[in-house]
Amino acid sequence: MRLKIVENKKIAKDTFILKVENPALFEILPGQFFMIKINEFNYPLLRRPFSVAGFSNTIDIIYRIVGEGTAILSKKREGEFLDFLGPLGNGFKINSAKRLILVGGGVGVAPLLYLKDVIENRYKIACEAYFGFNSRDEVFTDDGFISTMDGSLGFKGTAVDMVQDKLDEDSLIFACGPVPMMKKLALLSFEYGCSMQVSLESRMACGIGVCLGCVVETVDGDFKRVCVEGPVFDFEEIQWQEM
Amino acid sequence: MAGNVNLTVKLGSLIFKNPVLTASGTFGYGVEFERYVDLNRLGGFVVKGLSLHEKRGNKPPRIVETPCGMLNAIGLQNVGIDRFLEEKLPKLAGLNTHIIANIYGIEIEEFVRLAEILEGVPEISALEVNVSCPNVSKGGALFGKDPDMVYVLTASIKKVSNKSVIIKLTPNVDDVAFIAQAAQSGGADAVSLINTITGMVIDVKEKKPLLANKTGGLSGPAIYPVGVRMVYEVYEKVKIPIIGVGGIYNIDVALQYIMAGATLIEIGTANFVDPTISVQIIKGLEEFVIEEGLDSISELVGIAHG
Repeated sequence: MRLKIVENKKIAKDTFILKVENPALFEILPGQFFMIKINEFNYPLLRRPFSVAGFSNTIDIIYRIVGEGTAILSKKREGEFLDFLGPLGNGFKINSAKRLILVGGGVGVAPLLYLKDVIENRYKIACEAYFGFNSRDEVFTDDGFISTMDGSLGFKGTAVDMVQDKLDEDSLIFACGPVPMMKKLALLSFEYGCSMQVSLESRMACGIGVCLGCVVETVDGDFKRVCVEGPVFDFEEIQWQEM
Repeated sequence: MAGNVNLTVKLGSLIFKNPVLTASGTFGYGVEFERYVDLNRLGGFVVKGLSLHEKRGNKPPRIVETPCGMLNAIGLQNVGIDRFLEEKLPKLAGLNTHIIANIYGIEIEEFVRLAEILEGVPEISALEVNVSCPNVSKGGALFGKDPDMVYVLTASIKKVSNKSVIIKLTPNVDDVAFIAQAAQSGGADAVSLINTITGMVIDVKEKKPLLANKTGGLSGPAIYPVGVRMVYEVYEKVKIPIIGVGGIYNIDVALQYIMAGATLIEIGTANFVDPTISVQIIKGLEEFVIEEGLDSISELVGIAHG
């Protein structure tokens, strides 16, 4: 569906927030995503997957310029249209019996902002959020405990460094970020007996389960599609040594 | 208005309501697209390649985007013929369109066994024989590059199958028309071409090929001129119908394939970009036939040869 851009502005180094009109035709679970066609041409050819950072009068997407597609996207103006396919995939599953801990790294923080909004404002329960960035100029939120690698803002170190002594078997972690961060969290979750749901990124062509391009290897040696069986997985399903 | 337009085409004993099929590997088992398109609008669809036994496929990364195209090395991940028949096919019952099974084997005996199993499955209209997958270490394009193998394989399948048999050809050969002739001599009812073109992308940060399989098959708009050229060449050498496939993303390219000699066409990678593209191309063909005042779309097949 073609949705009108309300806002597309820079909020941190190489990081933008895109807001489009919400057609109010569907609900979306935190962690679900859209496949967006950046323009109507053959270059870039494929849609790109984006998770949702906010859902109200507008659908909000926070993205980082990582290649030519996102560079073109960053030049789109208010009033232009983008073609959205979705919402797609499985979102995070909230369990109020647990201590909810959100851990995000870089632009992986984006879907956790919407998750935090839903947990706090719809479910009216508390959660803790630990968001890590490389440096102060990359930080795009103050909604949680912030860390930076260079110590230019908040805690010095990674989000994992910040959270690792706060985990116990009651914890349910919701994580999204770079693979090394999630690997480390998986190790800690195993050690402390926490539950953890991870939102994975993958190279994706279709987003609807047919190209089989986006698979990840699971512990039982199968390949699961990030777009349909994910993007949110229980950490115990994933074969981390293959990541 | 559109109801009066004659888009029907023939392949062997089969009649298709229009020449638009969707290509194997880009349309799942059909059911995945039901929320986007009315499958009954299609001339038919080709299901994901089936092997005798379930195949895991290659390790990721399996795909990478390239200018106006993409490389894939999925490695024929599929549920296997038994689970396809038990789990997937019942969901397609009652459709008014042709379902074509794409089959793949490592040895001739496996292709023959698949054809034997599918012979007893009335929902399947035709077999598309994959002798052209570039992303598997055995079988695949190794068959499709050898005209003698293509001849023997086609004849072996025809011996056990009364269904229409389509041989899907690889573009990674010197003379695709020569291979097509071998398929025709073996008794093929049609040939489809082209499968993907072998390619490679190197990750310069990692200093190694980006895909886990190292090479992959290039598809998408970038490859259509190669496909059109090959259909054109094959049309001059064989009498059986040609199914044109490779980079079709709009009505213009669909017409180019038909004018080069394709009786039917398959839409592939474009399904990833726009799941409704197949139906849009059918509408475009209807409009073109009306605009040109044709009695039938068949009048356009091979017209570029003069």
